[in-house]
Amino acid sequence: MATLAPPRPKSYDDSFWKPISLWLTTTDHKLIGIMYMTTGMLSFVIGGIFALVIRLQLSAPNAQVINADTYNQLISAHGTTMIFFFVTIFMTGIANYFVPIMVGARDMAFPRLNLLGFWMIPVSIIIYYAGFFNGGALNAGWTAYAPLTERAYNPGNGVDFWALSLIVWAISGIMASTNFLTTIVALRAPGMRLSRLPLFVWAQISTSILLLIVGAPLAAALILLEFDRQFGTNFFTTAGRPVLYQHLFWFFGHPEVYIMILPGFGMISEIIPVFSRKPIFGYSTMVAALFGIVFLSMAVWAHHMFTVGMDIYVETFFMIMTMLIAVPTGIKFFNWIATAWRGSIEFTLPMKFAFGFMATFLIGGITGIYLSSVPVDTQLHQSYYVVAHLHYVLFGGSVMTIFAGIYYWFPKITGRKLNETLGEWHFWTVFVGFNATFLVMHTLGLEGMPRRIYTYPGGFGEEGWGATNAFITVASFLVALSVLVFLINLVVSWRSGEVAGDDPWEGNTLEWATSSPPPPYNFDRVPPVRSFMPLRDLRGDRHAAREPEPAAR
Amino acid sequence: MSYRSSPLLRRLALAAPLVIILLLLPAPALAAGSGLSPLLPQGVSPNGQALFDLYNLISIPAIVVFLLVEGLLLIIVFRDRRRRLGPDYKPPQWHGNTRLEIAWTVAPFLLLVAIGALSFNVLQRDFQRPFGSPNDMEISVSAHQFGWAYTYPQGFTINSEGNASVQPLVVPTGRLVRLKLDSQDVIHSWWVPDIAGKTDAVPGYDNFTWFNIQQVGQYRGECAELCGAGHYSMQIMVKAVSPDDFDSWVAEQQAKQATPSPSPSPSAKASASPSPSASASASPSPSPTTSASPSPSPSR
Repeated sequence: MATLAPPRPKSYDDSFWKPISLWLTTTDHKLIGIMYMTTGMLSFVIGGIFALVIRLQLSAPNAQVINADTYNQLISAHGTTMIFFFVTIFMTGIANYFVPIMVGARDMAFPRLNLLGFWMIPVSIIIYYAGFFNGGALNAGWTAYAPLTERAYNPGNGVDFWALSLIVWAISGIMASTNFLTTIVALRAPGMRLSRLPLFVWAQISTSILLLIVGAPLAAALILLEFDRQFGTNFFTTAGRPVLYQHLFWFFGHPEVYIMILPGFGMISEIIPVFSRKPIFGYSTMVAALFGIVFLSMAVWAHHMFTVGMDIYVETFFMIMTMLIAVPTGIKFFNWIATAWRGSIEFTLPMKFAFGFMATFLIGGITGIYLSSVPVDTQLHQSYYVVAHLHYVLFGGSVMTIFAGIYYWFPKITGRKLNETLGEWHFWTVFVGFNATFLVMHTLGLEGMPRRIYTYPGGFGEEGWGATNAFITVASFLVALSVLVFLINLVVSWRSGEVAGDDPWEGNTLEWATSSPPPPYNFDRVPPVRSFMPLRDLRGDRHAAREPEPAAR
Repeated sequence: MSYRSSPLLRRLALAAPLVIILLLLPAPALAAGSGLSPLLPQGVSPNGQALFDLYNLISIPAIVVFLLVEGLLLIIVFRDRRRRLGPDYKPPQWHGNTRLEIAWTVAPFLLLVAIGALSFNVLQRDFQRPFGSPNDMEISVSAHQFGWAYTYPQGFTINSEGNASVQPLVVPTGRLVRLKLDSQDVIHSWWVPDIAGKTDAVPGYDNFTWFNIQQVGQYRGECAELCGAGHYSMQIMVKAVSPDDFDSWVAEQQAKQATPSPSPSPSAKASASPSPSASASASPSPSPTTSASPSPSPSR
């Protein structure tokens, strides 16, 4: 570490509150990244509040906390907010901040496009929420299946606001993806060969490729839907082909799942080696697995549609493709385990969240196998089992990796560490609260409780669903409490946390070579890159004694 | 392997398998209706029973993989902490191991192919449109916001609106009943978990499902595809009665609907009548259509 002491340059984000004009007009990828992350975090809070209202409504049989149409608006808003405006946006923010630094670039390839792409997101969010103030927002679920969204059954403006919002969102996503790919291809530092890219950057490459390919079909589906609604065409109406909408939507929608998790996989692949003091196990297999997922994820969309009545051989194709996604995901899992195996592990907060992620995401992966089996899926589809499954992969998966990433990189972004005590409280409350909320939710689905129902009758069977739902509601407030602790930690630590230094974790990748927070244009001089762990090489790692041992092959 | 470094964690390590066992042990005891059943309902129809069996079969490798991976994670958590190993421990710098990596690529692949094959077996047996046999009965189900209209081959229609305890779908036990589902407006999904899986009712084409209920009883379900503000109220009740009771119920319905009543539902147009007992139908006789021809393709 002593070898790395460049004169500390003046850094404009030493203090957070700078003139608004700077934040509005900056083309610095780091500030844009912070804005992306802030937008995502605000969406997380809003979407979480929606979830709590939904849980209150479901806490008892025949409850009437809100009316049925408001309920349908809230479930749609919860899904849309969390998927489009929180997870995807937050992941883009982290990548925006760290991809250029990790490849040793001064900024993104197209800084002004980056700024435009970011500002389209608040526009998109405002357009969507404007629906609430114009006669009600989308009320057909975040998937917005036609023909329920058609003029005949949905005369209000909510669908239009939603569709327009997501068209803007998709364009922004395509801009960001182009920018990431160009940056990674064209602006790498000397020595940063593709085979030396950090796995987080590889994950961002695969994510960008996915979003580049599937963003357009989403926009196309929504434009056709708007044609139906505004100009009286019959693409998805009762007279048209409603199932076509599902095909187009899920051709976007399933890869979107991987757009939300692959950057998380990338973060885990960075965090585990650092805190185990071992190199990642099977670097090239990890990259291959990413592209295996990219390829397979575009051939599985119809597994969301096993009950619409397809030919059984078509269903079999999609079933097998879906099951095969578990193979590259399994490779990543086993490689992470092998990376940590016999390591010298420091269970810091990022590492705790990484392990929490693996423990919960595994359950989501296993329930995914049940769901991929067509016959079993006809029972589980559209039930609370699916709700539990998707929260295990999205919350137990993506959100846990986001937490891991925040604890890992917060010192780099702000120069200060997050408070450990609050962090411990956050980890244990979210881990217990999350599992308590969603583990028993599987059983509701197995007993036949469909998702998206406003309320349910009490007392069929022996005890009915009331007790289980009440338990889930209580547990969901534990999750809310944990997020509150986390937000307090963010604010407090940003103002007065322990000063972190440039390389608090003894990291492997280039972002730890610069100051915390990094200066404008990131580096005075990019360190030499001779492996995929340039910082470790530079540090002359004390573990390097055993480095020459060749990979067992 | 000793967890001596932390008594709390050691206790947790002991507790973890206990929790898992506690979760798994009462599995058979937690019947449907408790809100905590870890199994699918044991279908009263052979196709529902096949789903139950398949679910249990998939659970075997699923539980093994779950225990294996969580176990490995726990071993790492308790064995490989730096606080326990001391700062002088130098971890081995493995970069990979081709054989191991091939092993954990191929093993899951084979496992998944096996699960896929089992699933396909059920799929091709139970999910094709059943061929017509003289004893089968085809009921047309026309879904709409927010209810179901069941048109029997005998020509009468049962309108099941809202709360399903009012008008159940009455079917005979021990006889194959084929449902032909269509929708008048948006997409709905017909789902009675105790019988079998769900089938969507989509406007524009007919979808098929079937059941052959073995026990007399009432089975509840509801619409499983969000279809508007009244989605939650779109309940389903299926009442399985003995063949004799069914015949007398049919006669009763025919007598009731022989008196002039508003024409049932537009979907009644396609109700072909393979059952010979339908000849006495008093309602407007359905025009003979070819929809009952044994085409294996369920769509369009």
